[in-house]
Amino acid sequence: MSTATLVTLDLAAALVAAALWASAGALTVRGRSRLAVGLAAGAAVATSGRVATAVALAGRGWWFAQEKLTIGVPLLLVAVVAVALTIRRGGTAAATAMLTAGYAAAVGLALTLLAGYPSGWGVGLVCAAVVGAAALVTRRALAPAPAPGTLRTGVAAVLAVGLAGGALSVALPGAPTDSGGGVADAAPPGGRTVSVDELRGPDTPDPGGAVRRYTLTARRASVTLSSGRTVAAWAFDGRVPGPPLTATVGDLVEITLRNADIGQGVTLHWHGYDVPAVDDGAPGVTQDPVPPGGSYVYRFRAEQAGTYWYHTHQVSDQGVRMGLYGTLVVSPRVPSTVESVDLALPVHTLDGAVILGDRDTAEERRVAPGTPVRLRLVNTDSGPHRFALAGVPYRLAAVDGTDLNRPGELTEATLRLAAGGRYDLAFTMPAGAVALVVDGTAGAGLRLAPDGVPFARTGPEVAGWPEVDLIAYGAPAATPFGSGSRFDRRFTLVLDRGLAVVDRLPAYAYTVDGKAFPSVPTQVVRAGDLVAMTVVNRGFATHPWHLHGHHVLVLSRDGRPAGGSPLWMDTFDVRPGEVWVVAFRADNPGVWMNHCHNLSHAGQGMALHLEYAGVTTPFHGGHGAG
Amino acid sequence: MRRVYVVVQALLVAALVVQFYLAAVGAFDRPHTDDSFALHSENGMLVIPALIVLATLAAALARAPGRLIALTIAPLGLLVVQVLIIVLGNAVAGGDQDPTGPAALAILGLHAVNGMLMIGAAATVLRRARSLPAKTDRVDRAPTPVA
Repeated sequence: MSTATLVTLDLAAALVAAALWASAGALTVRGRSRLAVGLAAGAAVATSGRVATAVALAGRGWWFAQEKLTIGVPLLLVAVVAVALTIRRGGTAAATAMLTAGYAAAVGLALTLLAGYPSGWGVGLVCAAVVGAAALVTRRALAPAPAPGTLRTGVAAVLAVGLAGGALSVALPGAPTDSGGGVADAAPPGGRTVSVDELRGPDTPDPGGAVRRYTLTARRASVTLSSGRTVAAWAFDGRVPGPPLTATVGDLVEITLRNADIGQGVTLHWHGYDVPAVDDGAPGVTQDPVPPGGSYVYRFRAEQAGTYWYHTHQVSDQGVRMGLYGTLVVSPRVPSTVESVDLALPVHTLDGAVILGDRDTAEERRVAPGTPVRLRLVNTDSGPHRFALAGVPYRLAAVDGTDLNRPGELTEATLRLAAGGRYDLAFTMPAGAVALVVDGTAGAGLRLAPDGVPFARTGPEVAGWPEVDLIAYGAPAATPFGSGSRFDRRFTLVLDRGLAVVDRLPAYAYTVDGKAFPSVPTQVVRAGDLVAMTVVNRGFATHPWHLHGHHVLVLSRDGRPAGGSPLWMDTFDVRPGEVWVVAFRADNPGVWMNHCHNLSHAGQGMALHLEYAGVTTPFHGGHGAG
Repeated sequence: MRRVYVVVQALLVAALVVQFYLAAVGAFDRPHTDDSFALHSENGMLVIPALIVLATLAAALARAPGRLIALTIAPLGLLVVQVLIIVLGNAVAGGDQDPTGPAALAILGLHAVNGMLMIGAAATVLRRARSLPAKTDRVDRAPTPVA
């Protein structure tokens, strides 16, 4: 049974337990004790169900079960014991106990939905006080004249527990940093600190490389799509996507960003490109946002070949959605194969229209049989997209810019691409027609056919093709480190929703370890550390996780070791109930964003910083995540 | 206390009406994004449960009949059902970002029906709370005669 299903069953069991205990209590009040006992038996079964699901969830990882097993279930069991002790007597005592069991089950449910992992002593005491207060109020309502001393003692006890819990929750703020179990001291060797704006790369190309200069101007624009529809957008140089940037390994890429009239400001983040810190484009971390009329120069040496993309990181949810993005493709210095048809195809949702490249209708191209073709798919949206390639066997040659080892041939398969991720598809043009279908629709897509062959009209019929699981795709190869390596630090990120403060207001936020940005502890590493990062999704939404400045090697998913080609990713979809373990070498000093690339989630708290010991930032801003 | 009860319960009914309004805002927001339902989810997960708990507390303090107190807190149970409908629908679809098939949609559509049940329950409570005898709590504060 999947962890997500268990989580759902657990909630259902808690709800049924709460409803049945409360109903049993209400029937007891009305003197219908036989029916009440029947319902209580059902409630006891539901209670056992909740205990069972909580225990089963603990087997999937303590993060899934902690607040249930340390707070919710114990509270419920105490109330159930009270029921067992009073049920024979019946009357007010039994009714109060049953209703209290109902409150305890409901509080346990609320705890899971609103607080989650980790829930400490403070939260536990507050929960106990809430159940206690409800029990007292019930007792008072059912039996108007209990011994006054008992009631007073009860009220005092509940108040004391509640106040202690509240005080603990407020007085025990989380540590500002997380050392991942490594050397806690954040001071660099020798005690010298360095600012991110000193962390620049070389300013010359490699010998034999060229200098590639680009200027991108962000401005409000009106864009006409291939269907004829006109959309208001924010665009680089008036185009959505922005101008495609290309380079060859060894080149120096120099981009001047200008902002014409985007009031919120813009930056350029090189998604998946492990640039020096000062060029990362994270506002409030590596630079200030570029205001209207301002400019900023990014300069980095192209050292990784492959498919990447750029986008604004300032108010990124809105900025990227409105169109401030484009592709960055870097060719190897000595190409292994030259594909004469090599297309960078970002898929995006612009004002509700799915566009592939710059078209919201299918693009048709004539390609001669035998031509090597490479399609570089880039997902620039906040959610995943599904691609299917019909009419030809193909290989998934690269993921997130990195070539896979001996990728197998694929036919009739669905490729699910995480938000922010990239897939390179490679094939040789056959004699028949080929269709690239996006999300199983006949809209935006690519149709290829040799001269004289009609273009395919492929659409929804590909929607049922099975999904390729990358964790078992391709062949294993040597990696610089792996599951058996000795890690200097291990970080765990538990993703969920819950009550947290976002932009100084309490909100039902997207949380990391129960906290929202900027309250999530900063992860501190030292240069050279080998770092393992476990990302757990306790919630009900998919979270495409993205660490800036580094590629991570996937070690396992849900305990299953990666068994195919080494998978180096910069954005990986952590679906509900999943646990990913990834690893990276801390080899790019700086202060880096580490966040959910569903940019709306990032804007509602799901983000944090990864900081190298001794690196400081002179920039301060609340928009680092959003 | 009866007046507080009525006022809080009226606020709850208003918040539930606003919740339907925000659902429509989310549904018609173009382009549709994860943020489209942000206000709906804030109101649903913060404001509404808080008002239900406050109303129930007020009902208990106003010495409302047990059955009315139970009915006052009933929307909280239905609220959890609201969450479960979404969770279950998404689980059937395969994930919150996966295409919804007919089965998932059949479940997710119940979110509106259950929402109407919440409004119905809250409105019934409001009507009964208003018809409670105004002086209940003063009378009840007098010592209860021992039988």
